[in-house]
Amino acid sequence: MPKLKYERPLIKKMVAGMMDKFGAQGENTAVTHIDGVTVKSIIEKYGSPVFVLSEQKMRQNYKTATRAFGTRYPRVQFAWSYKTHYNNAVCNVFHQEGSWAEVVSGFEYKKALGNGVPGANIIFNGPDKHTDEIRLAVENDSLLHIDHFEELYLLIDLAAQMDKKPRVAIRVNMDTGIYPMWDRFGFNYENGQAWQAINKIVESAKLQLVGLHCHIGTYMLSSAAYGVAASKLCDLAMNCKKQLNVTIKYLDLGGGFPSANTLKGAYGLVPTPTVDEFAEVITTTILNYGFITEDLPLLILESGRVLIDDAGYLLGTVLANKKLSDGRKATIMDFGVNIMFTSFWYDHKISPAQEASQFNEDTVMYGPLCMNIDVVRESVNLPLFNRGDHVVVHKVGAYNMTQWMQFIAMRPNIVLIDTSNQTHVIRKAETLAYLEELELMPDYLKKIK
Amino acid sequence: MTRLVKNIAPLGQALLNSYSLLFFSNNKLFGFLLLLVSLFNPYAGLAGIVAAIVSISTAYLTGLNRTLVRDGLYSYNAVIIGLGMGTIYNYSIAFWLLLFVIVVFSVIISLMLQFLLGKYRLPFLTIPFVLCFWLVMLVTKDFASIDFTYRNIYWINDLYSLGDKPLVNLIMFMENLQVPPLIAAFFKALSSLYFQNNMLAGLLIALGMLIHSRIIFSLIVLGFVAAYGFNLVVGASPEGSNSYLMGVNYILVAVAVGGFFTIPSLHTYLWVLFSVPLTFLIVVGLGKIVGQWNLPVYSMPFSITVLCMLYFFSLKAHAGKVVLTPQQYYSPERNLYNYLNSRERLSNMHKVRLHLPFIGKWMVSQGYNGQITHKGDWSKALDFIVVDSQLKTYEQAGSEPENFFCFGKPVLAPADGFVQQVEDHIDDNEIGRVNNRQNWGNSIVIRHAEGLYTKLSHLKKNSIRVKAQDYVKRGDIIALCGNSGRSPEPHLHFQVQSAPYIGSKTLTYPLALFVAERQCGPEVKEYTVPEETDIVFRPVPSLPLQKAFEFLPGFNLTVTAEGIPDGRWEVFTDALNNSYIYCHSSKAIAWFRHNEEVFYFTSFEGDRDSLLYYFYLAAYKVYLSVEPAVPATDIFPLQPNRFTIRQWLQDIASPFVIFSRLRYRSLNRLVSADFLDPTFSVESTQTAQFLSSKKTVHNFTILIKESRIISFSFRKNNKNYTAICTPRDY
Repeated sequence: MPKLKYERPLIKKMVAGMMDKFGAQGENTAVTHIDGVTVKSIIEKYGSPVFVLSEQKMRQNYKTATRAFGTRYPRVQFAWSYKTHYNNAVCNVFHQEGSWAEVVSGFEYKKALGNGVPGANIIFNGPDKHTDEIRLAVENDSLLHIDHFEELYLLIDLAAQMDKKPRVAIRVNMDTGIYPMWDRFGFNYENGQAWQAINKIVESAKLQLVGLHCHIGTYMLSSAAYGVAASKLCDLAMNCKKQLNVTIKYLDLGGGFPSANTLKGAYGLVPTPTVDEFAEVITTTILNYGFITEDLPLLILESGRVLIDDAGYLLGTVLANKKLSDGRKATIMDFGVNIMFTSFWYDHKISPAQEASQFNEDTVMYGPLCMNIDVVRESVNLPLFNRGDHVVVHKVGAYNMTQWMQFIAMRPNIVLIDTSNQTHVIRKAETLAYLEELELMPDYLKKIK
Repeated sequence: MTRLVKNIAPLGQALLNSYSLLFFSNNKLFGFLLLLVSLFNPYAGLAGIVAAIVSISTAYLTGLNRTLVRDGLYSYNAVIIGLGMGTIYNYSIAFWLLLFVIVVFSVIISLMLQFLLGKYRLPFLTIPFVLCFWLVMLVTKDFASIDFTYRNIYWINDLYSLGDKPLVNLIMFMENLQVPPLIAAFFKALSSLYFQNNMLAGLLIALGMLIHSRIIFSLIVLGFVAAYGFNLVVGASPEGSNSYLMGVNYILVAVAVGGFFTIPSLHTYLWVLFSVPLTFLIVVGLGKIVGQWNLPVYSMPFSITVLCMLYFFSLKAHAGKVVLTPQQYYSPERNLYNYLNSRERLSNMHKVRLHLPFIGKWMVSQGYNGQITHKGDWSKALDFIVVDSQLKTYEQAGSEPENFFCFGKPVLAPADGFVQQVEDHIDDNEIGRVNNRQNWGNSIVIRHAEGLYTKLSHLKKNSIRVKAQDYVKRGDIIALCGNSGRSPEPHLHFQVQSAPYIGSKTLTYPLALFVAERQCGPEVKEYTVPEETDIVFRPVPSLPLQKAFEFLPGFNLTVTAEGIPDGRWEVFTDALNNSYIYCHSSKAIAWFRHNEEVFYFTSFEGDRDSLLYYFYLAAYKVYLSVEPAVPATDIFPLQPNRFTIRQWLQDIASPFVIFSRLRYRSLNRLVSADFLDPTFSVESTQTAQFLSSKKTVHNFTILIKESRIISFSFRKNNKNYTAICTPRDY
């Protein structure tokens, strides 16, 4: 008979399993496997903490999204949002599924080229595109989404020098009835700036206006806003056709579809709209707008989060338990905000990775950093852990592995579980040598004595 | 000078065709051979040539159809008249005068009969010849200046004057050759068509025929044997079986009934075995009648039998096993191969093209004769749903219609048509409930043609965007998928019917083109019905490919390749709305059809060395999409003019069994995946298959950029060619 697990004594108020104003009582079912691979074996092999990505889930998410749009609209194209997760292996999973690339910086652009994405299938967004990067993008026939007039003028100048007609779209911002209004990106629709930009592009005769782009926000919990956005883009496209005789080839509705994470401050279980609901609103708006079938624009979506968030897991280990001055319990983990940036936004779901007590205890979950801000969850109901126990943090696939930092601790391995349940390291854990590789030492500082 | 040549050339063609047409051919080389053979009797031969020239000129100058004049249609009867008169009369002024009048008369009778019989789609055969010749025979007795010749008795003298000793020796050698009498009779019978009676002429004609057509040759043998056999059985009648009658009646009947005016098959060969004895009876019977005026029957029994048989074939209520030649290529092989090919390829061409009535990938949840509800009179229906990769049909709990993937998805018009009936007020059921009172739920019936309706059912309440009498175009969104009527969970019901009512019974009718995802990958299906559990979708049409192969009437293209004469192509549409590319420089014609999904050629006529011919081979069938990458396959008609043993074996056996194939395959590739200006290549091959051995005959690559065909490359005589296509503006 194996030795029984030690459980600390616990005094807890008796509550029935009814739903209260904080939602249903947390069920802490142990998550021992991810895609058929045991958490224990992953940690043994790749250390702790470690990020795990499920290829199967990524492909499934992609198919769900393309099905949602593809059964409603005849011409749909997804463009993988590099800033969400630009690990090449991950990008290529989506490129294999048929996705284009959507990048917001020069290095992301080059990454996409390096991954073999044809230049014409790369969308270059963002307010900060350097002249040489724009030049490269123009040479590769990529789609440049203009953010401000300065960029527009620069492009006109470059086009004159390069003797090539760059393919451009403008980013449009608009009032879709949601707050905050993202009016810092692109040209405003309501005050006529967008139409002005379109006119300048067409009049210059140096640029090909091929598309219109908007991105009304992130983690959008209302699908109706997309209907407003689509209709405003359609209006611009229709005017381009009628007044300027320019056929808009595509409408890029951006991304911003939420994953099933829980935003901080959300009250209980807020249902997030599914991709289907967004697809329904967007496609019906465009289909009903009155384009003739041959002129129906290609519909581009730059979704990132909704495709990968729930395919990412973070596996970690309990370092210590503590009791705080006010009597609350605290647990210290070996991962923190340094590698899990999204814990600033979400109350991540955390599950024990082994059979645990059925009794939960409210605890503060801290990271390992020697820094006060390093709080993973301010309050979470979890079973009683011992040092060395493992946990699984859910839905961490988006943004974490691009926004993480080497602060106090270094970045861990990223492991991909493929569709036949084999594991592959797709980014190695960082080492001191890697960290110091770019450091330079002036001669006079070489000796410290 | 060139103008003269231009005017003379068709006359020369008409002259040669007048000779070859007698043997059911339009091969000029064969015609020339026959002309030479006719000169074995130089007097007859010369009279034949004069008669041909007189009749052609008459037809030409009186403005008859130039094409038919060139084909020798109005002059082949004149040739036999000339040959006949030259054989039996001495030359004199009166002779030539009589010849002239009779030949012109033969043209008039030919034209008259062409229109009289043409109404019944019957040929006039050699009736003009027989009528004219009877007239000649009846009148000449009274004309003192026209007398019978005795040359035929001293025919060897003529041969001396023609070919001197060697020819005489050759002919004598042939005559004295110890060949079985049957074989000798066979060759003599063949020569008798030209009023001759010698082995050499017969042998030459037989050889020419064998080269021209193996089927004709086999029919000649069959006709000869049948006549010979019948003669033996009924007890040899000297009138019925002389070699002249053999040649002009039985052998010609065999060819006409067995494989020239009909598509040769086992059945036509059997009909030959009936027709030949029938001809025998007519020969003897008619001989008794016209014999009273001392007239021979000539080839009248042939004409009578063939007209009877052909009219009989065409009047049968069911086409049955005997098919009349739809288009005459003057070669039974070509007639047969083209007929088989069009039957195989083009029998669906006139069907209304129905398409999947939705966007994206759906699954057939219940097919024709489905186990659940597709039974009895309503068995030929299709139910469609949307599934995820685990074949689940819903998300979340699946307790609301909205949870189902297909619910609320757009439903499209399957083809152009008028909306016949609409029902839009029935509530969508809760999951698991059915509405048996309003069985079909919300439905739309669309009329695509007389007696061809489609019905879409179980639509979402108040989602129908059309009303009765609206015209819808295929692909228009007309409603949303729902859960009304007898529908426990959301799905789309699709059926074809011949009556306009909601509730009419179903009709088997294929969908024009769709992709089915099968175990072995995606397959393009044409004119088939999807099967249960198929995941089906419409290939994504590629606008640039569609544009490149649009070929609207008036479109001009100049095609150039080094070492091959330039092609100047123009697209036309004829009165029957068939489109074709005509090459002004080579006079070749390639007929084609296209729709939104596929471009294909239906036939080619003309110069097989022209660039248009190579383009016809290269773009025989091209899908106008690149996703999914599925090859287009097709079959060419066999080419009987290829002189290979394999081809000849096939030709001989072709009425009974086909064991060689010319296969086509093309695959579209995206060379540069630029969505604004993509470059495509269409790579195609022609493969010859004989029994199970296969050999690639041709490889082609067509390059498409900026929505037009830039070039196509091919290999000919071990040399690579690239033809550059440049559009011309007029």
